[in-house]
Amino acid sequence: MKNFRRVLLTASGLALAALAVAPVLAQDDGLIIIEGNFGGDPQFLNPILASDTASTRMTGFLFPGFLNANVETAVLSPYDPPMASGGLVQDWTVDDTGTIYTFNLRQDLVWNDGTPITSADVMYTWGAIQAGSQGVVDTALSFVIDPSGQSGILDVTAPDDHTVVVTMASPECTSLSNAGVLGPVPAHVLPADYAELNDAEFNLNPTVSGGVFNFSALNPGEQVALVANPTYADAPEGGVAPAGFIYRVVPDQNVLFEQFVAGETNMIDGPAVARRAELRALADAGEKQVYPFPGNAWDYLAMNQADPANPQNGLDADGNRIDQGSHPILGDLAVRQAISHAMDVDSIAAAALFGEGSRMTSFVIPSSWAYADDLPVIAFDLDAANAILDEAGWTDGDGDGVREYHGTNTDVTPEGTPLSFTLYTNEGNGRRTQIGTLAQDQLSEAGIQVNFQTIDFNTLLDIMDTQTFDTFILGWRNGWPDDPDATQLFTAQADVVGGGSNNTSYYNPDFEALNMQAKSVPGCAVEDRATLYREMQAIFQADLPYVPLFTQDGMYAAGPEVAGFGPYPSNLYWNVDTWTQATP
Amino acid sequence: MIKYTLRRLLQAIPTFLGITLFSYLLMTAAPGGPVGALTFSPNVTPAQRARVAVQLGVDDPWSVQYLRWLAGDDWMRWDSDGDGLADGSIFIPIGIDETGHACHEAPCAITFAPGTGKGVLRGDFGRSFFYRRPVSSMIGERVAATLELGAAALLLGLVVGVPIGIIAAVRKGGIFDNVTRVLAVCFSAIPIFWLGLILLLVFGARLNILPMGGRCPPSLTGGCPPIWGRIEYLILPTFVLATGAIAVYSRYMRASMLDVRSQDYIRTAQAKGLSNRTVWFRHGARNALIPLATFLGPAITGLLSGAVITERIFSWPGLGRFAVDGVVSQDYPVVMAVVIIGAIATILGYILSDILYALIDPRIRFD
Repeated sequence: MKNFRRVLLTASGLALAALAVAPVLAQDDGLIIIEGNFGGDPQFLNPILASDTASTRMTGFLFPGFLNANVETAVLSPYDPPMASGGLVQDWTVDDTGTIYTFNLRQDLVWNDGTPITSADVMYTWGAIQAGSQGVVDTALSFVIDPSGQSGILDVTAPDDHTVVVTMASPECTSLSNAGVLGPVPAHVLPADYAELNDAEFNLNPTVSGGVFNFSALNPGEQVALVANPTYADAPEGGVAPAGFIYRVVPDQNVLFEQFVAGETNMIDGPAVARRAELRALADAGEKQVYPFPGNAWDYLAMNQADPANPQNGLDADGNRIDQGSHPILGDLAVRQAISHAMDVDSIAAAALFGEGSRMTSFVIPSSWAYADDLPVIAFDLDAANAILDEAGWTDGDGDGVREYHGTNTDVTPEGTPLSFTLYTNEGNGRRTQIGTLAQDQLSEAGIQVNFQTIDFNTLLDIMDTQTFDTFILGWRNGWPDDPDATQLFTAQADVVGGGSNNTSYYNPDFEALNMQAKSVPGCAVEDRATLYREMQAIFQADLPYVPLFTQDGMYAAGPEVAGFGPYPSNLYWNVDTWTQATP
Repeated sequence: MIKYTLRRLLQAIPTFLGITLFSYLLMTAAPGGPVGALTFSPNVTPAQRARVAVQLGVDDPWSVQYLRWLAGDDWMRWDSDGDGLADGSIFIPIGIDETGHACHEAPCAITFAPGTGKGVLRGDFGRSFFYRRPVSSMIGERVAATLELGAAALLLGLVVGVPIGIIAAVRKGGIFDNVTRVLAVCFSAIPIFWLGLILLLVFGARLNILPMGGRCPPSLTGGCPPIWGRIEYLILPTFVLATGAIAVYSRYMRASMLDVRSQDYIRTAQAKGLSNRTVWFRHGARNALIPLATFLGPAITGLLSGAVITERIFSWPGLGRFAVDGVVSQDYPVVMAVVIIGAIATILGYILSDILYALIDPRIRFD
C-alpha cells in the first residue's frame, strides 16, 4: 500500500509539473516560423525528386528556382527584386523562331558552402530530367520532354558558366513555364551517376543548399526544421531575418486550426472554410493576421460522354481520331445541360464553402488573366432543366419520379432507359461529400436519379483511368503562375484509357484548334492569348464535359508576432527573409 | 521451459506465414493501387504511369509480388555478364518496353539493374513506394515512439487499474465499487478517437495547458529532450491509450480478488487474526494477480492497435500513424511491415503470457 501511495504521489507530481509547463514557442534568436502540416512527411528534400506538397514547400525554401515570377502580376519575368526574385535567371532572349531561349544567369548566387551557383547546376537538373524520361530517376519533371518530340524541351546547353540555352520543340507559349523546371541543384555534391540519385543521402539531408533557409533536421512523423541561410544573396542587409522555420506534422485540419489559435503554431495556409469566420474575428481583435485571396483550386462534376462499356483512346497511333461511342445517358447534350441547370450551385457553395469561394463558369479560374469576365455562370433554372429533358424525350412515363427515355435516338439510348446514373467522389473529403449529397437531392427534383457513392481515392482514380464511370466530383489545383493551356485536360491526345486526364472523352475540333492557336500566338502576349481562351471557355460551357462548380478561396493567417507578413495570392513566403519578431 | 518455448515458436511459423499470405492477398485485391495516387497529375502520361507500375512491381500477379516480398528478387533477376544491367529473370521483367510496359526479353527500352531485394525471410522489408526508402529504417525511426507510448499506457493501466480492482473487491457493493464499475463501463465504451479529440479540445485548445500533439517541443535543431523534460506531451495520449486498459484491469482484478476471497487460505489468515490489510494485500492481491499475467499478451496487441488511432490523433510519430498513412496510400511494403510487426507482437505476446503464467503459478507445468 505504501508503494502504491508513492506511485500515486509521484504520478500526481509529474502531472502537476506538466500542467505548469504551458506549451510555448521557443524564441531563442529572432522569429521562428512554425507552420502546421497535415500532409505527412516530405518525401524528398531534393527539388528534382520532390512532388508532394510537403516536399515542394521545403525545397522552395532550400533551393533557388530557375525563373523569377512577379508576385504581383503572376507572370514570369526577369529578375526584379523584390517583387520578382529568388530565381537564378537574370533575363533572357528568344530567337526569331521562338524556339531557342537564351537565359543569362545571375552571378551573385552561391551555395551555402561557398560554391558559386552556375549553369553546371542547371545542367545537372536537365540531365536528371532526361534520365527521368528513361525511367532512371524518379522525377516528375520529365513531363517537359515529349517522347514524340513535338512539344516541350528538346535540348539544354550551357555555353558558359552563366548562360543556359534551351531549345524548344515548337514556339509554344508554355515554353517559358516548361523551362521553369530547370531549377539548379548543387551538382558538386550529387552523384555523377544518375542511377544513384534516387537513393542519394542528399535527398533527405541536403546539407548544401542555396535558398533562404538551410536544412537543419528532419524528425520523421514530427517536424522538419530549417535555419536562416547567412549567405542568401537576396536577403535584406543584415541577412535573413527569421531564425528559422519549422514545419510541424499535425493530424488534420481541426488540430491545425486549434494549434494556430492556441499559439502553438504561428502560420497557417488554408484553414478550414468553416473556421474562417473565427479567424476573421480574431484578426479584428488584433490577435491574428489574415489574408484571404481568390483560390486556384476548383471543384467540378465530370460527365462521361463516351461509352463506358467500351472505353477507347481519343487517338490511334497515327494520331487519327477513334470513335468513342456514346454514353447512353450522358452522351446526350440535353441531359448534361439539364443537369447543369438543375443544380443550384450557389446554395451548394454556401453550404460546402461557407461563402469562401467563387463560381466557375468554365475551366479557367476567375483570378486568371484568361478568365472570360463576360461569360455568365450557368443559371439554376429547374423549369429550363425540365423543359430540356421533356423536349429530348426524357419523360416520366410511369410516374415513379424518375424520367425514362422515350425519344428517337434509340440506337444509343434504348427505349425506357431510366435517367439514372452513378456519381462518385473520394471519401474523406467533407466538401465534396456535401456537394454530392446536395446535387443528388437537387437533381431528383428534375426527375434525375443519382446513385451517390463516396469511395476510396485510389479506387476512384482507377475508375477514372479506365473511363468506366458515369459521373464524378473532383477538383484541380492550378499552378502558380497559372497557364490556361487545355492540352492535358480537354483534348483528344489526353483521352487515354489507363491514365489520360481527359477521362470524360471530351472532343470538340473547334476547341482544340483554338487551344493550339492560343498556345502558339506569336509573341505570346497574354492579351492576344486571352481572346482565344475566352472563346474556348464559351465552347466548353456549351459542351459541358464538366459542370463547373466553384473555386475555394485561399487564406493565409499569421500570429501577431510575425512582422512583415504581407502575402500575395498563392505567395505566402515571397518575402519571408524580411520577417521579424514583432515587439508587443 | 526452453523446449516448450521453442515448440511454441515453431508452431507459430505456419501461423505467421498464413497471416502474411492472407494479408498480402487482401491488400492487393483492394481496388485502386499505389500507382494512381503516385502519379495523379495531368502532366503524367499513361506511358509514365505504366512504367511506374512496372518499376514498383505492382503489375505482376499477386503471387509473384508476394513471393518477391517474401523471398526477395535478388534470385529473380540477375546480371550474367557483369555490366550492371539485368540480362535474365524468372517471374519478373528485366526492364520496360517503349510503351512503358514490362519487358521480359532483351532488348528493352529500359533495362533494370539486377534484383537486390532479400525479402522478409532474410530481414529485408523492402522499400516504401512513396518515400523510396528502406522500410526497416523508417520503422527504426518510429518504433521508439510507439514503445514509449505503449509502455507508458501499460504502466498507467496497471498502476491505476489494479489498485482500483483491489479496492472495489474489498469494498464490494460500496460506493467506490459502484462508481468504478460505472466508470469502467464508460471507459470501455468511449471510442478513443472521440475521447482524444475532446481532451485535445479541452486541455489544449480551451485551457491551453497541454500541447495539442507531438512528442517533443518544436526545435530548430530537431533535438528532443529526455522523457522527463517533455512529460506534458505524453499525458494526453497515454491517458487516452490507457483508458481501456484501466477499465479492463480494474474489472478483471476485482473479479479475481472476489474469487480469491472465498479461498481457504484467506479464511485461515483471517482466523489467525491478521489485519485486513495484510489479508487482502499480502495474501489476497498477490494470488489474484496471477491470472492477470495472462492478460499481458493481449494487452500488448491491444495497445498496438490502440496506438494506430491514438498516434494519429496526437501526431505521435510512431508506428501507428505510419501504418495508417501506409494503408491510405496503399504503400504495400509499409502495410506489410506493420502487419508483420503486429503478427509477431501478438504471437509472442500470447507465448509470453503462457510462460509467465507457468512461472508465477507453480501449479502450472510446461507440457
